[in-house]
Amino acid sequence: MPETLPFHFTPVDEARADEKNVHEKASTNVADTIETLKKQFPGSITEVSVYAGEYTAFVKRDSLLQVCTALKETLGFVYLADLAGVDRFREDAPRYEVYYCMVNLETNKRLRLKVLVDEEDAVVPSLIGLFKAADWNERECYDMLGIRFEGHPDLRRMYMPEDFEYHPQRKEFPLLGIPGSLPLPPRTPEGELTMDPFAAAHSGSPAKSYQEPEGE
Amino acid sequence: MSVATPYHDREAIFSFWPRHNETLLKRLESKDAWLSTKRGIEVSRVEDALEHEMTLNIGPQHPATHGVLRCVVKLDGERIEKCVLDIGYLHRGIEKLAESKTYQEFMPYTDRMDYLSPYANNVAWCMAVEKLANIEVPDRAQWIRMIMCELARISSHLLWLGVGLMDAGAVSVFLWTFQGREDLYNIFDEVSGARFTVSHSRIGGLATDLGPTAITMIKDFVTSYEEIIKGWQKLLNRNRIWIDRNKDVGVINKEEAIELGLTGPNLRGSGVPYDIRIFEPYLKYDEVDFTIPLREEGDCLARYHIRMEEMLESIKIINQCLDRLPEGPIRTDDAKKAYPSKDEVYYSMEGMIHDFMYTETGVTPPKGAVAYHAIESPKGELGFYLESDGTGCPWRARLNAPSFTNLQGLESMMEGHPVADIVVLIGSIDPVMGEADR
Repeated sequence: MPETLPFHFTPVDEARADEKNVHEKASTNVADTIETLKKQFPGSITEVSVYAGEYTAFVKRDSLLQVCTALKETLGFVYLADLAGVDRFREDAPRYEVYYCMVNLETNKRLRLKVLVDEEDAVVPSLIGLFKAADWNERECYDMLGIRFEGHPDLRRMYMPEDFEYHPQRKEFPLLGIPGSLPLPPRTPEGELTMDPFAAAHSGSPAKSYQEPEGE
Repeated sequence: MSVATPYHDREAIFSFWPRHNETLLKRLESKDAWLSTKRGIEVSRVEDALEHEMTLNIGPQHPATHGVLRCVVKLDGERIEKCVLDIGYLHRGIEKLAESKTYQEFMPYTDRMDYLSPYANNVAWCMAVEKLANIEVPDRAQWIRMIMCELARISSHLLWLGVGLMDAGAVSVFLWTFQGREDLYNIFDEVSGARFTVSHSRIGGLATDLGPTAITMIKDFVTSYEEIIKGWQKLLNRNRIWIDRNKDVGVINKEEAIELGLTGPNLRGSGVPYDIRIFEPYLKYDEVDFTIPLREEGDCLARYHIRMEEMLESIKIINQCLDRLPEGPIRTDDAKKAYPSKDEVYYSMEGMIHDFMYTETGVTPPKGAVAYHAIESPKGELGFYLESDGTGCPWRARLNAPSFTNLQGLESMMEGHPVADIVVLIGSIDPVMGEADR
């Protein structure tokens, strides 16, 4: 009787719970901080997930400002290292999430908070009053995903020009861009604005960068 | 007959994105001067009878802006009252691109982020993927990565020094530091086969091993450049012009630096000992002996001193790495997690299949896995936040770029300085637009 050989083909569906990550760092073990938060704000933290030794606390949108104020003022997480949005694009859950990466410089800890955001009501309270560092990151998140930050004094687009009408990092935005959505410089000094940089890909004829001489 | 002159006929002024410029100028009018409010400086404005006020647009094509950085400043005479930075002229959307690439395919894109220290970016990406997919890296590869990361740090700081001094008016140092970068390029060429965009690190290890020639070249470089860097310090540390241009310019104290989220040498120049190499040691940084330079002043001069001392510390680290470089494999021996060696590919059927499979699908972290890994790049905290959906492409790849956060601080830092300090300030912050614009 031949032995059945185990064959693990990709993709791996779920992380195995017994597996220990070799890159796990002590700095991301913030179980006690999350416990403190849970005690202080009962009901505000809906879920805690752990992967590779990194704790992620899902915070309710309404209590985000309270939690962050407590984190900054009493728990020492004074440094906001990163803030960004994620397009989850699933049917079963809210469409977007915004994550916050905060650092405690005294005790060398790194904490990740996440806020789930509905597609119909894509508004998150702005952290700019607590961390000035959130300013540009929130603008970028608004630019890329269209999540609005309530209380941000200057919610302009970060990278795309203000005339652009889409949010390019949403999953439904095509990788090649949308024809005509962004006028580009003319190819000749007197030429027209180029409306589609990938004209050939969209079955048009690309604008030429030179004037062909009249027929011979 | 009327002649359309470009400066007087509004119709003749060509503008691409009228709404963009409109909102930018509106922001310039309404912007609260954060730093002056914080420090309680009253911006007393008398009636501008003499019309000293002026709005000046610097960039994005100004050579002293170190790339396509656009500063729109409101000047009162020669003093900057308000400053608005406009970035995005180099925006390629690499976070979006990453979502349609396999993990290994994305590597060449990281070279083009902070193009002054590509090796550090490669390592940052690899380590983030390795954390996400739980891949162990052999010791030798880790030590070599450390050597190359520190060489990248020196390379980046050399460019900062040369260009920064050229901004202040000294051209000869620019030529000397570029000689240094040339030597470093030769080392990278020997190690990886490419001078500029190296793409040498691989998920699970490295592409090729260091040969004896490369080790000799690195040894020669570190022995000769220790003296050379000290020579530059001798030239500059007591140089009247250099000190006058930098001292008390762009002062950011400890609390402001933390609140603005500055990273890297800019944060340490304000007295915050935040260095990822110490904070959460990656690779083998916990096994080598080095110190992180720290200054309290928070001005451009402090940032200059930090970077100069960092180069010497890097040399110290490289020397220790060379002494302790162990023998062994340079890539993990698991065909699901890393490329097989070329010998295997050419001489065995399995190796060939694995190579194909790895190129086609690559490493597949478990579904729902999230990981954030940061390294201390020459510019500061360079982190990748990755989310996996169980396939070979990341569901979300987020790049936390140090230049982006540092530029955000620069906006506030410029307020109240004469316009001539703009170039010195940009130089001392050391932004790279390829990274800031993603």
